[in-house]
Amino acid sequence: MDKMTFENHYMKQFDEELEEIRTRLMEMGGKVEQQLQNAIRAIGEADSKLAEEVIKEEQLVDNMEVDIDEACILIIARRQPAASDLRLVMMVTKAVNDLERIGDEAKKIANHALILADESGSSKGYTEVRHLGQSVISMLSNALDAFARFDVDAAMRTIEEDKQIDQEYKTALRELATYMMEDPRSISRVINILWVVRSLERIGDHAKNLCEQIVFVVKGKDIRHQK
Amino acid sequence: MNAIDPVMGAKAEVKQNLEVADNQVTVGSCFTDAPKMTMRNVNVFYDDKQAIHNVSVDIAKNEVIAMIGPSGCGKSTFLRSLNRMNDTVESCRVEGEICMDGENLYAPKLDVVELRARVGMVFQKPNPFPKSIYDNVAYGPKIHGLADTRVDLDEIVEDSLRKASLWEEVKERLHQSGTGLSGGQQQRLCIARAIAVSPEVILMDEPCSALDPIATAKIEELIEELSQNFTIAIVTHSMQQAARVSHRTAYFHLGRLIEVNPTEQVFTMPEHELTEAYITGRFG
Amino acid sequence: MTKPVNTPVNNLEKIRKSLGRRNRSEHLFRWYGRLAILIGLAAVTVLFTDIVSKGHGAFRISYMQLEVEYDQDLIGVDNLTDPEQLILGNWQAVPKQALRQQFPDVSGRSDKRKLYGLVSNGSGFDLKDRLLANPLLLGTRETVWILADDDIDTYYKSWLDGEPYAARLSDKQVQWISELHDQGKIRLQFNSNLFTRGDSREPEQAGIRGAVMGSLFTLLLTLMLSFPIGVAAAIYLEEFAPKNGWTDFIEVNINNLAAVPSIIFGLLGLAIFINFFHVPRSVPIVGGLVLTLMTLPTIIITSRAAIKSVPPSIREAALGMGASKYQMVLHHVLPLALPGMLTGAIIGMAQALGESAPLLMIGMVAFIVDIPGGFSDPATVLPVQIFLWADSPERAFIEKTSAAIMVLLSFLIVMNTSAVWLRKRLERRW
Repeated sequence: MDKMTFENHYMKQFDEELEEIRTRLMEMGGKVEQQLQNAIRAIGEADSKLAEEVIKEEQLVDNMEVDIDEACILIIARRQPAASDLRLVMMVTKAVNDLERIGDEAKKIANHALILADESGSSKGYTEVRHLGQSVISMLSNALDAFARFDVDAAMRTIEEDKQIDQEYKTALRELATYMMEDPRSISRVINILWVVRSLERIGDHAKNLCEQIVFVVKGKDIRHQK
Repeated sequence: MNAIDPVMGAKAEVKQNLEVADNQVTVGSCFTDAPKMTMRNVNVFYDDKQAIHNVSVDIAKNEVIAMIGPSGCGKSTFLRSLNRMNDTVESCRVEGEICMDGENLYAPKLDVVELRARVGMVFQKPNPFPKSIYDNVAYGPKIHGLADTRVDLDEIVEDSLRKASLWEEVKERLHQSGTGLSGGQQQRLCIARAIAVSPEVILMDEPCSALDPIATAKIEELIEELSQNFTIAIVTHSMQQAARVSHRTAYFHLGRLIEVNPTEQVFTMPEHELTEAYITGRFG
Repeated sequence: MTKPVNTPVNNLEKIRKSLGRRNRSEHLFRWYGRLAILIGLAAVTVLFTDIVSKGHGAFRISYMQLEVEYDQDLIGVDNLTDPEQLILGNWQAVPKQALRQQFPDVSGRSDKRKLYGLVSNGSGFDLKDRLLANPLLLGTRETVWILADDDIDTYYKSWLDGEPYAARLSDKQVQWISELHDQGKIRLQFNSNLFTRGDSREPEQAGIRGAVMGSLFTLLLTLMLSFPIGVAAAIYLEEFAPKNGWTDFIEVNINNLAAVPSIIFGLLGLAIFINFFHVPRSVPIVGGLVLTLMTLPTIIITSRAAIKSVPPSIREAALGMGASKYQMVLHHVLPLALPGMLTGAIIGMAQALGESAPLLMIGMVAFIVDIPGGFSDPATVLPVQIFLWADSPERAFIEKTSAAIMVLLSFLIVMNTSAVWLRKRLERRW
C-alpha cells in the first residue's frame, strides 16, 4: 500500500477533483517556497523592494488557502471520501494550514528585512540567517517533493532534518546573544534578526508537520507527537 | 507524479489482485474471544455454482457486524445461511460449520423452527403480514406459545413496539392494518415482530434499501439501541450505513470474505486493496 | 468528425413525421376494440331478446273460473283421512261436473270430451289438495280458478296477442273460450306451478322444481368434493411438492384434463361409478362425482394461480418468524389466496351447473316427476331439463324451455356476480 493512486474511481470527476486539490496544493507550496527564498534574500541583500513584494504577495497565499479549503469541503460534502481518499483530503486541509503559516512567517521575515534595510547597520548575524535559511528552504522543498511523490522514505528523512534545524537554531541563538553582549548598541538590530531566526525555526516545524501528514496519507498511521 | 500508476497500469494491478483472490485468506480480525456465532470454512453452492468460498468468521455477542460488498458478492447468501433461510431454495447446499453458542446449526437433529425463533430476520422490503399491527407483532409469540394469557401477550406486543420505537406512533391504532403504515414504520414493525420472540441474533438484509433517508436514520438509531440486547448482523449496500451503525465490517468479494476489521479501521485504513478499492469507489 | 446521423433538429422532424402514423394506428386499434365489444354485446342482446320474448309467456298461465261442488257421492269419498279412499276417488269428476254446469247445452260423447279437455287433466288433483287443506269444504260448493289445458292456454295467449293459434282446437272449444272470456271467467295468472312442481308430460303442469333441486344436490356434492380436494392438491403442488419431473408431469396432465371434452368424463363416470362401483343411475351422487372430476382441474389451476400470486415476501416473513411450512400456508398463504380460490370454485361451479353432456351418459336424462329430496333420489338437472323440454312435441313446451333457460341464466349470473363480489370483499392489498 505504499503506492498511492487517486485515480480509477467509477466517477471520473472524483479523480479530477482529487487531482486538482493536489495540484493546487503543490502550486501553493511552490509559491510559499518562493516567498521564503525572497524574504531571506531581502535580508541578505537589504533589498526593501523585494521585501515589500513578499509582504504584498502574502495575500495571494491566503487566497490559495481559502480556495483549497473550500474545494476540500466540497469533496467531503459531495463524495463522502473514505480510506485513502479521506486521508488525502484531510491531509490537504491540514497541509494548506501549514503552508499558510509558512507564508505568514515569510511575511514576518520580510517585515524585519524592511526594518533592517532601513537601519542599514552592520551585517552581523546575517551569516546565521543565511545558513539557517538555506537549511529551512531545503527542508521545505524536500517536504514538497515527498508530497508530490507520496514518498514516505523521503518524508521520514525530512522529518529528521528538523532536528538539525533545531540544532542550528540553538547555535544561532547563542551567537546572537554573544553579539548583543559584545555590542549593546546593536541589541535592537540583533533582536530583529532573532525574530527572523525564530520564524525560520517555526517554518521548519511546519515543514515537519507536512511530512507527518504525508506519512498519514500513505501509511494511515498518525506519527505526530511520538518519541 | 511518477509513482502514480497510469490508468491502464492500475487496472492491470487490480486484475492481478482478483486472481490472487482465488486462494484468498481473509485479512484482519476475523475471530473474537467470546463469539456468539462461529462460522468455519463455510461454502455455499447453488447447484454446481459456488456462491460462498471458504468463509471463516466470528460474530461477537452484542456486536453489530456489517457485511458489505458489490452486488452478487454473496453477502446476502451468507447472511441467509445463518438462520437457514436458504433451506427454502431447493438447489442451495451449505457446507462447513456454522455454530451458535457452540451448537452446530446444520446438525440433523436441530429443528429449523427453533433456530429461527433464536435467529430473527428482517428483510430488504418491509413485509408486514396483511393483518393488524397487533397481530403482526403477536404472531411470533402466538405460534411459539410464548404468552400464557392475553395480558402477557399485550405486554409482549407493547414491549416489542417500544423497543422498535414504534409504540408512540401506533398505540392508538393497534388494530388497524400493518400495511397501512409508511415504509419506515412498516420496517420498524417488522423489527418489532422479529424481537417479539426475543431472538438472540437479528439478521438484517439491506433493511433500509427501500426507505427514505429519515426513515433510514430512525432504523439506524434503532439498530444502535438494539445492539445493547441483541447481536446484529446487517447486510447493506450503503457503505455510509455500515460505517455509521456497525462495530465491525466484513468485506465480501466474489463469494470470498476479503477482510474483517473494526469499522473505523475499514473506513480509514483498510488492510486489503480490494476493500480499499470498493469503499473508495474504484474499479476493483 | 463525421456528420452525426441524428441532430436534435432532424430527430424532431422524424419524430413528428412518425407521429401521424402512430396516432392513426392507435385510433384504428381502439375502434377495432370497440367493434369487438359491440359485436359481443349485440350477440348477447339478440340471445336474451330471443329467449325473453319466447319465454316470458311461460310465467303466466290460463285459469278458468268454475263453480265446483265437492260432492261426496260424485267423488266417492266420505272420509278424508282414509288413504285408500283418497287414491280411489274420482277426483277428475269434480271439474267435469263443473264444466257441464257451465255449459249445460253440450251433449254427445265427442263434444263432452272436448268440453272436458278445456281444463288440465290434473285439475281434479289440485282440487283434492285444496279439499285436503280445508276438509270442511267436503259436500259444499265454491267458485274456484281451475288450471286450463296447455292447448287452451296456448290458444288463449295467442288470441290475446291478436294472432290466434287454433290448430289443435275445435271450433266449439274456440267458441267456449270466447264465451268464457266475455264472462270474465278465463284469465292469465302467475304460473306458480313452474317453480313448485316437477316435470310432467302435461306442459301446464310441468315445473322446474325437480330439476332445480337435482342441480342443487348435484352441485352441493360437487362443491363439497372438488373444493377441498382441489385446494389441497393445489397447495401441495405449489408449496410442498419437490420441483422435479414428476410434478411437471402432473401439472401437464392437470392442464390437459381441463381441456378434455366433458362427455368423456360422463363416459368415465358411467364406466367407473355405475358399472364398477354400482352407484345407482340418475342420482345426484353419481352426477356430483362426475362433475367433481370435471371441475377439479379448473379449481386446481385457479387455486395454484391464486397461491402463486401471494407475494414471496409474506412467505419469507412467516418462515423467518419460525413458522413451520404448514403454519405459513395456513396462516398466511391460504387467507391471501382464498378470494382467488373461491372465484375459481364459483366459476367451476357455474360451469358444472350448465353442464349436460356428461350427465346424459350417466342417466340423469330420465323423465322424473318426483322432486328429489336427497342425494340418492333419482333426479335430473336444469340443463338436462331444458334439453328434455326442447325435445318435447307440445307447443307449450317451447315457452317453457325458454323460461327454464332464463332461470338457468339467472342462476349463472347470480353465481358469477357473487364471484366478483367475493373477490372484491375478500381481496386485501399487501
